[in-house]
Amino acid sequence: MHFLKFIFSIGPLIFGIGFLAPLISQSFQALGWSAPWGFSTLTFGLLVGAALGALATVRGRWV
Amino acid sequence: MNMDAGQLDAMSMEALREQERLIARRHLNHFPWMTFSWGMANVVCWLLLWPAVFAWGLSLWVAFPVAVLNLMLFYLPSHEAQHSIIARPGEKLRWLNEFVGHVCSAPLVIPYRVLRATHMEHHKYANDPELDPDYPMHAESPLGAIWKAIQWRQPRPDGKPHAYARALERLGREDLIAEAALYELAYYTFLFAMAWSGFAIEVALLWWLPRHLAFIYILFYLAWAPHNPAMERGRYKDTRSFKSPLGNIGTMGMQFHVVHHLYPRIPLYRTPQAYWELLPILEKMGAPIEELSARPD
Repeated sequence: MHFLKFIFSIGPLIFGIGFLAPLISQSFQALGWSAPWGFSTLTFGLLVGAALGALATVRGRWV
Repeated sequence: MNMDAGQLDAMSMEALREQERLIARRHLNHFPWMTFSWGMANVVCWLLLWPAVFAWGLSLWVAFPVAVLNLMLFYLPSHEAQHSIIARPGEKLRWLNEFVGHVCSAPLVIPYRVLRATHMEHHKYANDPELDPDYPMHAESPLGAIWKAIQWRQPRPDGKPHAYARALERLGREDLIAEAALYELAYYTFLFAMAWSGFAIEVALLWWLPRHLAFIYILFYLAWAPHNPAMERGRYKDTRSFKSPLGNIGTMGMQFHVVHHLYPRIPLYRTPQAYWELLPILEKMGAPIEELSARPD
């Protein structure tokens, strides 16, 4: 139970890395866009996903 | 029932209640064929979307709106099961009741037993700011309700644990909190595995986004609209009838929600008929039925 509580306490961060990152990356590829600042789409997805997830973890909300 | 206002005026409160029970009894204990078929067809349709997209070449732009509709339609069959409308404990078809409840709530990633426990609390304490798990949906306008529905989906709405988790804690049902956590864990593991296998867009449009949109719809029409303004408590006061531009089908029968709170075991498909039969009594009892006080021709 303690493990579950820990996982859920950082749930948005895990979601940002585990889902948003590949979703952003694959969406860029599907649209034929390239990531800014010379990043690969996956690196860019990881940066954005992790940042949004970390923010949501701290705030307790995505929006 | 064809009683005029004069006859109703002459009846005691007890006689009115008895009349109300007689009408309600006619609508109880009917097998909810409509909701049962809808639940099963919905499960099959949503499950078929996956091979249709991955193996049979169905466009995601076709599959996505279907998936949104599927997810929206999952809640009410489970809701009928929560109230044991398909079969009560000990009855022959009880297994079917529980089966429908489980399979129709799983895609929403809330365990059936959690939905049942929290929904019973909602019926018991409807509109109580502290004890009604659906009270966080209280809002003053439709736009406010949509915003509240979005907030309802946040990790820690209002900086506190979710109202459902708080209700389960109050009930001492840590087992159900753990069950809900395991459901979420399984769901997110699936999402992550699909996403990192190169199918993030597919899984986002078949499950993740449809589920979010479905919750907004479900919370709007099932939690907010029938209880707005959610200020009063009591048998005839804690819910209302309302008229929606989407009609009875578009609101999934919620226009007549007052009947459901009075007699939760009346199947959804019989609530409109029960409502019109009960209307004079509801009026007499002071139920908030102003928006639907005359049967459309």
